[in-house]
Amino acid sequence: MNNSFPRLIDGMCATLRAEVLSRLDDEFARGQVYGVINLLNTFKARADWASGFLLEQIAAQQQALDALRALLGAMPSAPALPDAPLPIATPIAELLARRDAGNRAFDELQAWLDGPGRTLPAAQASQVETVLRRAMRTEVDLELKHSPRPLFAEMSSGREA
Amino acid sequence: MTSSIGDEQTLAARVADYLTQQVGHPVTVGAVRRFPVGFSWLTYAVPVSGLQGDGAVQELILRLGPDFGLFAPYSAGPQVLAMRSLEGTAVPLPRAYWSSDDPAILGAPFMFCEKVSGSAVVPWVSAHEPGLEEGYRKRLGAQFIDALAALHCVRWAEQPIAEMAHGITAENAAEQNVAQWQALIERWAMRPYPLAEYGIRWLKSNHPVAPRVTIVHGDYRTGNFLEQDGRITAILDWELVHLGDPHEDLAWASMPMYMGGSKLICRLAEPDWFYGRYAERAGYEVSMASVRYYQVFSLLKLAATHMAAARCFEEGRFNDMRMPAMGSQIATCLRQMDKLIEST
Repeated sequence: MNNSFPRLIDGMCATLRAEVLSRLDDEFARGQVYGVINLLNTFKARADWASGFLLEQIAAQQQALDALRALLGAMPSAPALPDAPLPIATPIAELLARRDAGNRAFDELQAWLDGPGRTLPAAQASQVETVLRRAMRTEVDLELKHSPRPLFAEMSSGREA
Repeated sequence: MTSSIGDEQTLAARVADYLTQQVGHPVTVGAVRRFPVGFSWLTYAVPVSGLQGDGAVQELILRLGPDFGLFAPYSAGPQVLAMRSLEGTAVPLPRAYWSSDDPAILGAPFMFCEKVSGSAVVPWVSAHEPGLEEGYRKRLGAQFIDALAALHCVRWAEQPIAEMAHGITAENAAEQNVAQWQALIERWAMRPYPLAEYGIRWLKSNHPVAPRVTIVHGDYRTGNFLEQDGRITAILDWELVHLGDPHEDLAWASMPMYMGGSKLICRLAEPDWFYGRYAERAGYEVSMASVRYYQVFSLLKLAATHMAAARCFEEGRFNDMRMPAMGSQIATCLRQMDKLIEST
């Protein structure tokens, strides 16, 4: 793709609004189109191109650059060739699993506080609760920060609100 | 997507066979039309000729609980028991007719009821949308409040809905309710939500005692009643009906997402008027502490509903694009719940 991810999303949303909704009469179908626009806006806020294919391209490129450097290294007039280590991408599934494991630990800690953890001195228990509460809020706040305005009015009515 | 229900033509033929058996003489069914509303039960208008043994056409409403629906698996039982229990009371609602949970009949659990005239007031509007016309709003608001008070005054122990009691008392009503929704969250959540867990802990530590055990609609709000010329003709969508603390319905109706950007409960009533008029009609003093408790509960319940929507879409049971949009609102509900706990 040669266009940026956000611009493509904007283009798709604009086309759906200007070219599809203007020719669509069925109320339910119109609501569904707004549902698609809603999701596209979420992608714009949270997603980007998958890194896998870019890494493949860069690895192939690096292989060629290494071969060229070996062939031309002795010629001082040849342009300098980039020689950076291959970037390492973390798969999203791994990040999701890490986040869920952290949240599971928060859940278990809360259950423990209501059980065996009752013996914890009050001040210490309060500190634990405060840290937990702050962490839980931060997660939700970050999620909300990266969420577009939901289009429930449009999805329900099938028209612009 | 219509599962074993089949298309409208197949459904019409199955309905004709079923109703013919029920009334004991042949009936014919015209073109069945599905309403594009609801996230859960499917709703159809069914024109039937010959129900009374003559050629008159009567339009019925058919509600089907499909196996791909939001809260599947379904049973028509609770809503039918509630609707039968409320016949002849001051709660306007359609008359319930035939029902069954046997999917062999129409492809899914179902119920038929009377078709009532009117249209729904949309709860989700933009903050820029002008409010409802003042006189119209007040008229609807008064009926909205009075119908809720009437519902909470029904002597349910003498009605069919009594079979849903399961040992409920004023003391354990909140506890039973929280336990039920905790189990649903465990069933629907696709990942851990520590803030939901925190909400459950708070609810378990702060159980109020109900002023009385009543029939609770469970989803009492704008969008779930029909109105015609300023008159509420029917309260609809009884699928979440149960017995419990009446404060739950007050709290649910007062959630910010149903205010449509206004300061009015369900875009209809100023909070003071809502609680004051309701208390007068229902005959007990509204506890604002209980209302706040059930507002926390309602936000958790709404988050749980959104978890169900996300799962329903993820499992490929339903491609309705409103489902993932609902799923994206889990964080919003949990954050509002957290703020409300903080302020109590």
